[in-house]
Amino acid sequence: MQFSVSWLRSFCNPSLTTDELAHALTMAGLEVEEVTPAAPPFTGVVVGEILACEKHPNADKLSLCTVNVGRRAAAPLQIVCGAPNARAGIKIPCALVGAVLPPGADGQPFAIKPVKMRGVESNGMLCSARELGISSDHAGLLELDTQAPVGADIRDYLALNDSKFLIKLTPNKADCLSVYGVAREVHAITGAPLAPPPSGEVKTTLTDVLPVKVLAPDLCGRFAGRVLRGVDAKAPTPAWMRERLEKSGQRSISALVDISNYVMLELGRPTHVFDLDRVQGKLEVRWGKTGETLKLLNGNTVSLDEEVGVIADDRAVESLAGIMGGDSTAVSLDTKNVYVEAAFWHPTAIQGRARRFNFSTDAGHRFERGVDWASIPAHLDRLCALILDICGGQAGPLDDQTINVPERKPVTMRVARAQRVIGVPVTADDMASIFTRLGLTHRRTAETFIVTPPSYRFDIEIEEDLIEEIARIHGFDNIPARPPVARAAMHAKRESTRSLHELRAAVAAADYFETINYSFVDERWERELLGNANPIQLLNPIASQMAVMRTSLIPGLLASIQYNASHKADRVRVFELGKVFLRDPSVTDGELAVAGIAQPLRLAGAAWGGPVAEQWASGKRAVDFFDVKADLLALLPAGAKFSVAEHPLLHPGRSARISIGGVPLGWLGELHPRHLAAFELTAAPVVFELDVAPLQQRPVPVHLPVSKQPLVRRDIALVVAHAVPSEALTASLHEAAPPFVRAVEVFDVYRGAGLPEGKKSVAIRVLMQDTERTLADNEIEGACQRMLDHVQQQHGATLRA
Amino acid sequence: MTPSLAPLIAAATADFAACADAPSLENAKAKYLGKTGAVTDLLKGMATLSPEEKKTRGAEINLAKDAIETALRARRDALAVEALNARLAAEAIDVTLPGRGKGPGGIHPVIRTWQRVEEIFASIGFDVADGPEIEADWFNFTALNNPPNHPARSMQDTFYVDMNGTDGLPLLLRTHTSPMQVRYARMHANEVTSTGRPIKVIAPGRTYRVDSDATHSPMFHQVEGLWIDENISFADLKGVYTDFLRRFFESDDLQVRFRPSYFPFTEPSAEIDMKFESGPLKGKWLEISGSGQVHPSVVRNFGLDPERYIGFAFGSGLERLTMLRYGIGDLRLFFEGDLRFLKQFA
Repeated sequence: MQFSVSWLRSFCNPSLTTDELAHALTMAGLEVEEVTPAAPPFTGVVVGEILACEKHPNADKLSLCTVNVGRRAAAPLQIVCGAPNARAGIKIPCALVGAVLPPGADGQPFAIKPVKMRGVESNGMLCSARELGISSDHAGLLELDTQAPVGADIRDYLALNDSKFLIKLTPNKADCLSVYGVAREVHAITGAPLAPPPSGEVKTTLTDVLPVKVLAPDLCGRFAGRVLRGVDAKAPTPAWMRERLEKSGQRSISALVDISNYVMLELGRPTHVFDLDRVQGKLEVRWGKTGETLKLLNGNTVSLDEEVGVIADDRAVESLAGIMGGDSTAVSLDTKNVYVEAAFWHPTAIQGRARRFNFSTDAGHRFERGVDWASIPAHLDRLCALILDICGGQAGPLDDQTINVPERKPVTMRVARAQRVIGVPVTADDMASIFTRLGLTHRRTAETFIVTPPSYRFDIEIEEDLIEEIARIHGFDNIPARPPVARAAMHAKRESTRSLHELRAAVAAADYFETINYSFVDERWERELLGNANPIQLLNPIASQMAVMRTSLIPGLLASIQYNASHKADRVRVFELGKVFLRDPSVTDGELAVAGIAQPLRLAGAAWGGPVAEQWASGKRAVDFFDVKADLLALLPAGAKFSVAEHPLLHPGRSARISIGGVPLGWLGELHPRHLAAFELTAAPVVFELDVAPLQQRPVPVHLPVSKQPLVRRDIALVVAHAVPSEALTASLHEAAPPFVRAVEVFDVYRGAGLPEGKKSVAIRVLMQDTERTLADNEIEGACQRMLDHVQQQHGATLRA
Repeated sequence: MTPSLAPLIAAATADFAACADAPSLENAKAKYLGKTGAVTDLLKGMATLSPEEKKTRGAEINLAKDAIETALRARRDALAVEALNARLAAEAIDVTLPGRGKGPGGIHPVIRTWQRVEEIFASIGFDVADGPEIEADWFNFTALNNPPNHPARSMQDTFYVDMNGTDGLPLLLRTHTSPMQVRYARMHANEVTSTGRPIKVIAPGRTYRVDSDATHSPMFHQVEGLWIDENISFADLKGVYTDFLRRFFESDDLQVRFRPSYFPFTEPSAEIDMKFESGPLKGKWLEISGSGQVHPSVVRNFGLDPERYIGFAFGSGLERLTMLRYGIGDLRLFFEGDLRFLKQFA
């Protein structure tokens, strides 16, 4: 909300500077976001009156003005002017010789000197609003009111030594959505006296009443209105009102609209003015009906239903209750007779309604937070008095129906509870004084306050609401920052669980950079890269490439590679640790679960370019499956298995499913060549994605004695078909191995000359050691033979000659 | 010693010195100490001498032999040192060349902040909570005293997904980390009432709002803090959060102010601003966190009695903390995955 400081000070004027006042409001919870001067500094500009205006003898577009500046000069001044609206009879701002105007485009203040323009002397300058820095209007001279006093300093006349406050109000401060409401706060904060609310007296001279029937007490709690006849809608809005509206960021429209807006800003009271001659019959206040439509003041037509409150006449719906009036009964410059209305709309009946139609209004904003019902007649009188004063006319009687207004229940606050919550012993006397300044009538007992909130407060229902008021007005700055005293309890992490940060550090140590990618991705990624036709969709995505929830972290990492490759990187290694989102009907609501959706944490990485950064000591090659597999083996728990399996994202011959104890844990593989083009890559990255939970498990080590017996090594080379995985061979050897076989490990694989077509030779090292005794030769040879027989039987392996 | 043997010693020493390597030194050795060498010849020549002369002559020859052997050893040692030096010189490398192998990767700056925040709060006994990012309406709003249609809901523009919760309301992407405090507190409420152990937890994580411009990202990170016990007051909140900021920014002259604000889930509520006393942002109040005493309705939704249990909660933006800590000016850098940016935090 924006308004001028002088308007605020007209109600409550503490002896604080503008900046101090802004600070005081901010520290009481009314955040002053901006303090802006009404106009930049300038001097020497007064109200002038153009007495005569003739064409410049030597220039088509210039005119020669004779300007009366009253006592500011001995005689009228001759001033050359280029403005199209310069003409005799108007009053305008006139900069005298010696004046300094606000900086123009060059950034330098502009000093006015006597000059000759095209051979004619000019002693001053006539100004537009932009030249004075008041607005961006540069269409012509700023035309002042005809009543403006000639010779008066323009800063005084236009109240330009004023400032504007822009206040950011939190949703609970419904009572501060008006200048008077803010003044009430200033009074509470500073103790400076508060003027009574502006009022008006209306003499009833007509008997006309527009009949109104309120049919929905859950929508409308009070409804009041008056008929005014013979108003002049063309009457000009007075300068003082226009000035305050403009400083509040409201453009002047017409007197009737301006007055209604003014009362809303001044008192926080939204009102509506109907063109009485366009209302058919009587009014009724009710919920809308499906099928009804309404063309609004802003030209939009909305479809109504039973959730939306309306004001209708005998013919149609004429207004969206508490939000916006209708087009057909709107006032115009030709309006003669009006019906003015002010009502109490229940906040719950207004909340969310404007949002359904995708707009918001100042009235709706106020009503959904709560507007005082008690002051309706007084505020309507203020409005009518202003209309009669400015537009003339005669008033009918006030028709005021109270149907169903809220009950203000007394709220009890215990002094001890307030002190416990705030943490400092604010005294009961201080509390009483705070309530008094806030206008909260209260009863005091030995240990409690019983407060009955005023009808303009919609934020006081429970004890904490009052505690907050005490803390706020006492001042948060006056509450000490206290290091808490707490029982000391040790809080140790489990040794068998690795934290996410430890996991991240381990991946980073393997030369991967952590990235954070959006959790919502392009639907095409899910469909084309991951074969997922049914990802979870956002109902309101901000962009189509962020429309569905990801089920894999890998596409985001591929996009990272693409981004860096396009910025000349030749090697990219990135990882991410984050959640993915899978439809899963087996998930039920739980302590950490939402039914229907699995949200596991995943760790994914992608490596592209060389296995190490290009350098003098290492040959150039592309990173491959086994480089990344080694990185993973350093992360994975012991016993992780890599098995041949296909994944839509991965090269079918270069991908592996990773599992542990038969439970799938993730994937490792080279990106399928068909996806390279989508990421503008020519070489395939190697990618992996793992479930995080199993990676966090880290068994507490159990010590076994180190054997003192000699270690025996036997190397065997097995010839098998290409397709036999090496791990199948070692597993087979293991199966037949006696307990003293410590390790069976592949150390070489050979394909080529000397071997039959389609065969490979796998060299395996067998390490044997007993814990108790030295192994005899026949035990060793026997064990080897049994293992060889077994692997031959299972995989047709032969010993290489 | 008769002068006659001095030239022999001198000749041997000179010969040894002339040898450039071990084989030639061995040849030279034979010339003096070998079976047909000069010393052997001298010993043979003693056969004709009288026993008295033999004794004298023998002693002289032995002295000369010792001298020659000493010269030989010295030369051998010198040659060995030369040979080693030559080898070492040949083996010298350019130690200024880069090392071989992988470099270190790096942790994302926001996660680095996340970890530091966890560590700072862990030092006074805070636990760390996690929770779902696609959340039910109740946990994200209603449990936090923000029922449907409440004007406060428009403070946070919410992403909704195409699934409904078991309550029939659409599921959403959590707009803040606060639902995690609700979940954690509900999981631990029994422990609080039975053992008297307080709820002290921070909940860092991803959050989402329909907002995208230079200063807003549709996805960002928050850290939520919650301390509930029988006497945790607003003054404690001021103490804890002020201390946190000073530890996080490693600066004791940091100014912190608490300013009244409004959140449905806290009352009294405070916006926390901070001000550096030095550096490029010196003298400017910067919004850093929302906070307050947990609203009694929320404490009730935790499964605790608000009459007995009170305490504070706060929520801070991890990106904001990170930007202020490292002088990062553009929020978008966090989500672009640009290595030139990420490598600065290796």
